[in-house]
Amino acid sequence: MSIKTYIFRVQRNTCHGDNGKVDTNWQEYIIECEETTTVLTALDDIRDHQDSTITYRQSCRSAICGSCAMKISGKTRLACKTHVGIVARSVEGKEHQVIEVAPQGNQPVLKDMAIDIAPFFDRVIKIQPFIKGGDEADTEVHQNSYDQVNHVTQCIMCGCCYSECTVAEVSPEYIGPAALAKAFRFVSDPREGCKTARLKELSEDHMMWSCSRCAMCVEACPKDVAPMEAIVKLRTRGIQKGFTNTTGAKHALAFHEDITSRGDLNEFSVMMRTIGIFGTMGEIPTALHLLKKGKIPSPIPHKAEGIEEVRKMYDILEKNPLDVETKAKEVEPE
Amino acid sequence: MKSHDLIIVGAGLAGMRAALEGVKENVNVAIISKIHPLRSHSCAAQGGVNAAIDPEDDTSLHSYDTVKGSDYIGDEDAIELMCETAPEAIMEMDRMGCPFSRREAGKIAQRPFGGASFDRTCFAADRTGQVMLHVLWEQLVKAKVPVYEECQVLKLVTDPDGKSVTGVVVYDIKTGEVFPIRGKAVLMATGGYGRVYQSSTNATTNTGDGMALALRAGAPLADMEFVQFHPTGLRTSGILVTEGARGEGGVLINVDGERFMGKYAPTKKELASRDVVSRGEQTEIIEGRGRDGAIFLDLTLLGAEKIMERLPQIRQLCIDLEGVDPIKEPIPVRPTAHYSMGGIRTDKYGASPLSGLYAAGEAACVSVHGANRLGGNSLLDGVVFGKITGKAASEFVNSQEYRIFPQEAVDEVNKDIENLINREEWGIRPVELHTRLSSKMNAYCGVFRTPDGLAQAEEQLPSVRRDYDLIHLDDKTKSFNLNLLRALELRNIIDLAECIIKGAIARTESRGAHSRTDYPTRDDDNWRKHTIAMWNAETKSVELSYEAVRTVDNPRYVPKERVY
Repeated sequence: MSIKTYIFRVQRNTCHGDNGKVDTNWQEYIIECEETTTVLTALDDIRDHQDSTITYRQSCRSAICGSCAMKISGKTRLACKTHVGIVARSVEGKEHQVIEVAPQGNQPVLKDMAIDIAPFFDRVIKIQPFIKGGDEADTEVHQNSYDQVNHVTQCIMCGCCYSECTVAEVSPEYIGPAALAKAFRFVSDPREGCKTARLKELSEDHMMWSCSRCAMCVEACPKDVAPMEAIVKLRTRGIQKGFTNTTGAKHALAFHEDITSRGDLNEFSVMMRTIGIFGTMGEIPTALHLLKKGKIPSPIPHKAEGIEEVRKMYDILEKNPLDVETKAKEVEPE
Repeated sequence: MKSHDLIIVGAGLAGMRAALEGVKENVNVAIISKIHPLRSHSCAAQGGVNAAIDPEDDTSLHSYDTVKGSDYIGDEDAIELMCETAPEAIMEMDRMGCPFSRREAGKIAQRPFGGASFDRTCFAADRTGQVMLHVLWEQLVKAKVPVYEECQVLKLVTDPDGKSVTGVVVYDIKTGEVFPIRGKAVLMATGGYGRVYQSSTNATTNTGDGMALALRAGAPLADMEFVQFHPTGLRTSGILVTEGARGEGGVLINVDGERFMGKYAPTKKELASRDVVSRGEQTEIIEGRGRDGAIFLDLTLLGAEKIMERLPQIRQLCIDLEGVDPIKEPIPVRPTAHYSMGGIRTDKYGASPLSGLYAAGEAACVSVHGANRLGGNSLLDGVVFGKITGKAASEFVNSQEYRIFPQEAVDEVNKDIENLINREEWGIRPVELHTRLSSKMNAYCGVFRTPDGLAQAEEQLPSVRRDYDLIHLDDKTKSFNLNLLRALELRNIIDLAECIIKGAIARTESRGAHSRTDYPTRDDDNWRKHTIAMWNAETKSVELSYEAVRTVDNPRYVPKERVY
């Protein structure tokens, strides 16, 4: 292994008392380490030998306690499992490759990379994260009972997904991917007694239907939890239980109806079926704007060619429902 | 003044389990933890938790294995209590929603572990501690137990005559505020002191705070010289590779590819108890059959499928931290400081001799692990004694009134902090002093202990204490001053290191994890007893005395040579 020189560009944040105002500036530190040194080890080295005022949480050093999630070269990652060589970038005018370190996104900052973790955990607590008794509790647990929840029980609540969540960025009311993945764990646990009641609550505003399915959470998760996959399954189960009177569910059902019947979307009527006639009228300004840009498709229904093929695909899928891979990933031989 | 009948310090398995017991007993209970409960180090336990739940198994067999594993210095009453409570404690965790791995007919799966005569280690893949910790946190949320998150206890306060605990002084890491909490009892569940050692499987937060607080408040610590070295810490980082890897069939080989454990434990080989395996490895390394201070754990013979099903996180850790894929090549490992058998001395219900002070989990020395802990018994210790001690402490507080809380305790803590912050702009960074001490602990108080080494370890103590007064902090701010926190933790580390060194020098025998090159055999006539360390506030140093092992008069527990 060869030692290389890197520049660590560290975001320094100072929070001013109660008003929450944060002063931000950047400081650079030069460090020599290997490409395979973890960002956490490198940061510890800088803190221990150059500047002990740099503040960030860390504890286990082995990607299981979830303390050290931070933005590293633009993406939220666990510092303890990220190699310096993977995140170092060449920057014009800089002699050495640069690693940029900043706090998680979508959350209030306390100091440097330390964020206020309370709002994140408040969201998780909101889904009532504990097994509840009730009529739907199964007395038997089968050998494969946990295959469904295996991926979500890997969650260590590090907050990487929430930090990268594009919906949380614009809608602080959104419960967020980690909380929903946790909710899925209970909805799927044979010992849970209130599965339907949970699905009903999850169908409310700012819950499972708010996800935009951008998949940032899946990409950011350091533990292969795949929160978005859990959200998709929650939605399916919500609809199966008849919780269809929500914008999200109606939209999904309208989509489904169009594709199965015509193989093509009628976007005007999808909107009518999703948000109703008055809702649609409220969207007229947007529609006019889109019209100007030539982005409004014909409101006249149109049937796709080869619709029989589409129906066959649906038929096969409905008979053999696809499930996301919930077990550990296949080994990829190099 | 804030007050809670029962104050629990630490939010790992033992702390949270104890809090739930407090709720059940209708006690006003609160937890203080320097990190969020889910960050607690219990999460890093990988392999599993022992319980004789199989009809073919027997709790008495589990007790026997544990007594033998302890090298006959564990307290037999406490060991029997733990092993008998184990099946119920595991079933409770299961009912709370713990996703244990299952086998046919939905039974909780069990795997073989070191030093055990039956396959009795329950598990959830290779992240058993994580799922157990998360499940207990779920229950904590359900029970609405107040948690003072990211608050460090800086003083265990006793009433003016020093006989009873009356509360704690707390430092809120987030705000820098110092405040008292009055309590009728304090339960320490602060984990171990792995960070006394430089190379350790432990989290950086494992600084033995609760033990040091108890020591300085006048409570006895026991058996501090018994530090478990885990046979399979990764060579570079010291990060743990579970014993479950050997339980699933992994073998240890030296640089010549020789499977060497047969020389040291003819029958159990890799699954002998941890002290035996670590000594075997260290001997191979000393005699030149290692590479770069490590030998190898070979999992390649398990095959990709089994590794991915049973040890997925281990594989990822080896790739991330050691650059080695266990599916393709052996993993370089070495004995690494892992578990503190020593701790706050308690009876089998977790009560210390200091009235109102309780301890559970790794912070306590009940003692169920004696001179060597068996793999799979630490998570068990956490949930079993969390429950038992939580109940005992709750019953205690229900019979007590609040006592006088001396205000001077708060002033003293404030003064200590000011002293550290207002030091001159020169001196030593806390980390430099910590590294100096902890590297010597590895060198001189490790797997094998030599008379010269121990003498050198002891000689440095006065200079380490002197230099502590030269520490200076870069960070002078109030909020989230982790620089200050490290300096405060370092004081605990120094006090505990003194207990370990003195205990190790005095114990002129080899027993369990304490292996003296000049006294290579166990000496039951003179040393089948617990080392007790007490703080002398006048000389500001540790003094030793001894206490008999609690036995139950079972002929099976009579000390024999330990052969695996």
